[in-house]
Amino acid sequence: MFQAVLLPAAMPKDVWICIKLIQEPFVFDCSAAEQKPKDPEADNKSDGSEETGSDKILAFAVSSSAKLVALTDDTKRLVLFRCEPSWQVISTRWVVRRCTSLVFTEAEDEVWAADKSGDVYSFSVVEPQKTGELKLGHLSMLLSMTLTPNDKYVVTADRDEKIRVSHLRSPHNIQAFCLGHLEFVSSLLVPPGHPQWLLSGSGDGTMKLWEYESGRRLQSWDLKQLRDMPNSDTEKEKRSAVSRIAGSPGGHHVAVQCERVPSVQLFGMEQGTEERLMPSSRLTLPHCPLDLTFDPQGRLWVLLDSRETPFLVYTHTQDSWQCDSESPELKRVTEALQPHWEALQDSAGLESRFQHLYKGNFDNMASYREKKQQRLQQQKDQGGKKRGPGKGQQSNGASKKAKKGNQPGPVTKASS
Amino acid sequence: MRRWYISILSLNTSIKNKMSVSMPQKRYYRQRAHSNPMADHTFEYPVCPEDMDWSQLYPEFFSDHQSTQKAAQVEFADIGCGYGGLLVELSPLFPKQLILGLEIRVKVSDYVQDRIRSLRAAETGSYQNIACLRSNAMKYLPNFFSKGQGLVYTNTDVEEVHLWMVKHFSEHLLFTRVPDAELVDDVIISRLGTCTEEGKKVQRNGGKNYLAVFRRVEDQN
Repeated sequence: MFQAVLLPAAMPKDVWICIKLIQEPFVFDCSAAEQKPKDPEADNKSDGSEETGSDKILAFAVSSSAKLVALTDDTKRLVLFRCEPSWQVISTRWVVRRCTSLVFTEAEDEVWAADKSGDVYSFSVVEPQKTGELKLGHLSMLLSMTLTPNDKYVVTADRDEKIRVSHLRSPHNIQAFCLGHLEFVSSLLVPPGHPQWLLSGSGDGTMKLWEYESGRRLQSWDLKQLRDMPNSDTEKEKRSAVSRIAGSPGGHHVAVQCERVPSVQLFGMEQGTEERLMPSSRLTLPHCPLDLTFDPQGRLWVLLDSRETPFLVYTHTQDSWQCDSESPELKRVTEALQPHWEALQDSAGLESRFQHLYKGNFDNMASYREKKQQRLQQQKDQGGKKRGPGKGQQSNGASKKAKKGNQPGPVTKASS
Repeated sequence: MRRWYISILSLNTSIKNKMSVSMPQKRYYRQRAHSNPMADHTFEYPVCPEDMDWSQLYPEFFSDHQSTQKAAQVEFADIGCGYGGLLVELSPLFPKQLILGLEIRVKVSDYVQDRIRSLRAAETGSYQNIACLRSNAMKYLPNFFSKGQGLVYTNTDVEEVHLWMVKHFSEHLLFTRVPDAELVDDVIISRLGTCTEEGKKVQRNGGKNYLAVFRRVEDQN
């Protein structure tokens, strides 16, 4: 029996570190990875659209048995690893556009990649060199993706507030939309133990619970309201997107992280005539968390932006979460990470991963309506005086013609 | 000629005084045909189809006695309705059914809304079943409409576009082409190429209309 605690560390960095509790840490440096072979034809094109990316890692995924890992970076690599019996790169493939999300099928035969243009590709694991196949597309940047139990559906979430549930084996067939968020949808989770439920987190600061097969919304929580600190009326709390939702393996707890907020909101399952999720406790943290996850024993691991204490572990005992600072695994993991901290340093920190995803408001109608009002007013005023269109009331075509007429004709020069 | 021109206008003015709403003049609403559908223009759209208040667009269909009858639903959608020619043409043919035009351009959608308003004012009880919304159908169709079965009518005067649409709809496993034989009595077909601005332009220039109709079918799996 082994224990694998693989923290999905959601920070852009070149180096990816996996710390497995019974093995030596595995370090993979993307900048030293395989380079894309130069395509002589591509060199002739000077469209300028292909800018070289950095080697920052954009997304990664771990398979259900924890035997396979995949990652994708800013240079558009898709690297597939096996972890057993030892770490090894199986293949390096290339994605068409930068990806935001990766997920393995439960059967571990494919890894699915969602990209910034809204497309989803599936990559074979069984044939590790095979190029990706286009599966489905959104009209907006994809931000999160998950598969439902038994690989029945693929759930994709985008910047246009949409969550789409499609049949995995026939993705052109949309089962349902889960519509309700008011901003981009940044995280998705099918909680363990509740195969018909979907949890989603958004830039609108809420988490919602859905019955994804029908698209029916069951519950919704405003994370900001749950934080509700009475002393903070002087500072306007900036909107904070939900950056991670994690579920305990037993299906009893859910942990939620919001960006740049130094706390974790926990939810518990309430038993009754029908199961409901209820906010249970809030853990205050010394720093803002970068990521969190539950281990197979149900302990909550939190990754902090701190060299001294990068990890915190919490155990649930008797209706409360206790921080376990003496755990030998915690010590081991911290020691394994610290030497590599510099490589991880250039991380999210104070910056927000999601701030640029909020849409600006361009009111196309306002200036048009104003001009229309002016035109109608002028017409009304001049209606009694003149018949026909007023002087200042030329349509676009007429005013353009008038302009043309004013220009001097071609001047012929006398040839010498 | 000039006198005739003035007399027509004086007729218009007197009608104007009687009518509360006058017909909009297209020349004030001209806008070029292309608009970037990937750009972040601000559109109003409901969070989900259940939240959509159709009574604002079709007041007569959602008045007080509505509780006794089943809530009316939009059954026809004209995606890219332009200046509303098709909406106006179809309105009297399907008086009990709601027809919606979606148009992305600011001026053009405003024109259609003004046009419908003025038609409704001119003929009481008529044109109550058509309306126009400014929206990006490509992105927001699922916000307005729930999943349904139905027919897709495509029409273009550009052969390449026609072939492209036929290819993609035919390849899509959830659509099947409706053969011409089945469309003989279809009332919409005969009007598609003639009542819109674009359609009339094609006729004037002696162009050809390419038509293709597809039916949404169940997933075979």
